[in-house]
Amino acid sequence: MTDSAAPVVLIVEDEPDVAETYNLWLADDYEVRIAGDGDEGLDKLDEEVDVVLLDRMMPGLSGDEVLERIRERELGCRVAMVTAVEPDFDILEMGFDAYLSKPIRSEELIETVEKLLERSTYDRLLQKYYALVEKQATLETAKSGAELAESDEYAQLQNRIADLQDGLSQTMGGVEDDADFITAIQQIGGSEDT
Amino acid sequence: MYDLSSVLETEAVSEVRPGTSILIAGPAMTGKESLAMEILAEGSRNDDGALVVSTSDSAETIVEDYRDRVAGVNNLQLGVVDCRAEGSGGGLADGDTPPGLYVHKVSSPGDLTGIGIGITKCLEALHGAGAEEGRMALISLSTMLTYTNRETVFKFCHVLSSRLDAAGYIGVFTIDSGAHDDQTLQVIKQAFDGLIEVRDGEAGREARVMGLTDGPTDWTDL
Repeated sequence: MTDSAAPVVLIVEDEPDVAETYNLWLADDYEVRIAGDGDEGLDKLDEEVDVVLLDRMMPGLSGDEVLERIRERELGCRVAMVTAVEPDFDILEMGFDAYLSKPIRSEELIETVEKLLERSTYDRLLQKYYALVEKQATLETAKSGAELAESDEYAQLQNRIADLQDGLSQTMGGVEDDADFITAIQQIGGSEDT
Repeated sequence: MYDLSSVLETEAVSEVRPGTSILIAGPAMTGKESLAMEILAEGSRNDDGALVVSTSDSAETIVEDYRDRVAGVNNLQLGVVDCRAEGSGGGLADGDTPPGLYVHKVSSPGDLTGIGIGITKCLEALHGAGAEEGRMALISLSTMLTYTNRETVFKFCHVLSSRLDAAGYIGVFTIDSGAHDDQTLQVIKQAFDGLIEVRDGEAGREARVMGLTDGPTDWTDL
C-alpha cells in the first residue's frame, strides 16, 4: 500500500508486537520502516524519513542516545518519543518534537504523526517567508519609495509574502498547543546558540 | 478589542484586535519601555492579565516598579519572565511567590526555548486565574539580537505572535532603532502587525502609529 510520495515513518521499538500494531495503524497512509533497537533504527534512518517514533526504554542504545545521534546527523526528521509515563514540558528541552505515553491509541498515534508532518510544513513555510522578507528589506533599504512603487520585482515579492502569510496562518501546526509552541521555538533556535 | 488610546492618544489604537503584536521602535532614551509598561498597566487597571518578558531588569525590580505603576489595583495578575537570571540568586524564585504573581527565570536572553517555556507557564497561570484577556511586553528585542541573529529573532517573534493570537492577548515589543542596521530593522518590523515609532521631538516625546490603520498617523505628543 505504499507509494514513493507517501511520508516515511520509522518505528524504533524493541517489542515486535507493539511495533507491528503501530505498523498496522500507519501502513495505509505512510511508508513504514521498523527497527527492533537503536542501532538498527540509526541504520534505517536517512533523508527520506519524515517522522521517527522512538521508544525511550530499550535494551542497548536508549531513546535519548538515539535522539542525540539523530540530531548530530542534522537530519530534518521529527522525533516523537514513546514513554511509559507522561513527562513534563522539560522533556521537550531534550530535543524531542512530541511525546506519547503508553499505551497509545490508534487515533492518538495518527494525530501525532500528522501534527509532526504539519509542523515540518510550517517550518518550511516560515523559512521561505523569512528569506523573502530579507529580500524585501534589501530592496526597501536600497531603493527610494518612488523606485519601489515602479518595481515589478518588488510588487511580486509583496504578493508572494502575502501568500505565505496566509499559508502560515492556515498551518497553525507550530502553535496549536503549548508543546507545539515550545517545539516550534526550539526549531528556530537552531544549533547556533548551543 | 483592546483600547490603547488612553496611553497613546490616537484613534489608530482605540480598537486593537486580540492577537495583535506591535513593535515599539525608537532611539535610546525615548521612553519605549515606559510606553510598553504603561500599555500593560492600563490593562491591569481593567483586570487584564499582564506579562513582562525582560532581558535587562530582574524580576524583583520589575515587580516593584509595576506595583508602583498600578498602585491601588486589586487582584493584580502579573507574570514575569526574567531572562537575565544568570547568577541572580535569592529573591523571587519559581513557585515561591505571592498570589497573582508568577515568576519564571531563564538563564540568558539567548535561551529562546527557556523563554518560550516561561511564557507558556505564565500564560497558563494567568489563564488559570481567570485573565482571559491580557497584554504582554517584551523588553527588549535589541538585547535578544545581541545574543542570537536576526533570523532567529524574526522567527521567534512570528511564532510568539501566533501564540499570543491563540491566547487572545496583545503583545508589545521594544527595539532600539539606533542599535541596528536598516536591514535588520526592516526585517524585524515585518514580523509585527503594527509599529509605534517614538522620538524626541522639539516639543518633547512624540509617537506615531503605522500598520494598524491605512497609512501612518501624524506624530502626536506622548
